[in-house]
Amino acid sequence: MSDALSDDGSDINQDDSQDVMTPAELIAKLEEAWLNEKFSPELLENKSEVVECVMEQLTHMESNLQRVKKGDAKASFHRMEIDRIRFVLSSYLRSRLQKIEKFFPHVLEREKSRVEGQPSLLSPEEFAFAKEYYTNTETYLKAVALKRMPLNLQTVDLLKAVPEPCLDSFVFLRVKEKQENILVEPETDDQREYIVDLEEGSQHLMRYRTVAPLVSNGAVQLI
Amino acid sequence: MDPSEVEFLAEKELVKIIPNFSLDKIFLIGGDLGPFNPGLSVDVPLWLALNLKQRQKCRILPPDWMDVEKLEEMRALERKEDAFTPVPSLYYMEITKLLLNHASDNIPKADEIRTLVKDIWDTRIAKLRLSADSFINQQEAHAQLDNLTLMEINTTREFLLDSLNFMFKLRSNLQPGSSKGQLTDY
Repeated sequence: MSDALSDDGSDINQDDSQDVMTPAELIAKLEEAWLNEKFSPELLENKSEVVECVMEQLTHMESNLQRVKKGDAKASFHRMEIDRIRFVLSSYLRSRLQKIEKFFPHVLEREKSRVEGQPSLLSPEEFAFAKEYYTNTETYLKAVALKRMPLNLQTVDLLKAVPEPCLDSFVFLRVKEKQENILVEPETDDQREYIVDLEEGSQHLMRYRTVAPLVSNGAVQLI
Repeated sequence: MDPSEVEFLAEKELVKIIPNFSLDKIFLIGGDLGPFNPGLSVDVPLWLALNLKQRQKCRILPPDWMDVEKLEEMRALERKEDAFTPVPSLYYMEITKLLLNHASDNIPKADEIRTLVKDIWDTRIAKLRLSADSFINQQEAHAQLDNLTLMEINTTREFLLDSLNFMFKLRSNLQPGSSKGQLTDY
């Protein structure tokens, strides 16, 4: 057995000294981001740092595996693990792209109104994708329909034409850090608003709007 | 979420196996495993255990809770209580299914266990349906769902959440002057 596989790539985040993470923690972060993205109605902030680190780990491991003889038992374990991580990673990225396609005008609008220094929702690649998607949709609408319309009906405001993410959707969540005094808005006019405490480890069903900030700061996990 | 994705998450759970080969410690990205020695039990994630089992390289030891007596107790408790009782594993259903499908020769009294777990599952799902029904009837805005597992949530997720969204939209359009939740989505 060559030593190639004994190097578990723990050199991760060397360039990012403030926040040292083991590869296992990194994978856990990716899985959290994956589930949150899958279940939240809106596009969440991009985790390109995590994505890049995971990619790095995978390429590192794959290049090690290249040097290993065929039929090595250890190599097959590693390959299986790589496949599993790759699955989570692509599922995560795919669910983000789906949301970008669904909400592209709003996503781009948020990007436009973003103040300098505020983190962007989109990774540079996703931003390029969203812009291109916007242009292509517009061109397509023009080519097939709009240019045959009367002159005063030839423009379409995509921001109004494409539905916004529905933040009032209900979500299931598990609490990772205890939260007090979460205000629950009433469903109907004859009910009153009330306050709940979210205990660590407890699970809840409530509106996404109420917990959106807690999702983005990692205090709760969508399930 | 697709049930197969919940199963994917369940495959991360650790199980004990008794390998029939020897191998040094291996350093996976997600953590170290091994060393493997013939006859000595070692913890591995379920995905690896099943793979080794299929290649006839190990015997899988059932988790502690996968035991007829313990499951009978659980079933009795689950039927007695109105609330969801704590489960031995967040992925009890998936683990049972995977182990019984791929390693039933390593599980003593496999058929009884299959029936017991199915009974527990059915009782819990019935409770879940009841509570979903009262949640909607009372027009609640918040519910606490401790001890419910991901697979259980997943059986009702789409139907329940979509219905709630629709009802919310219909209701908020009934209240004059309310601009939230207009029927713009879809």
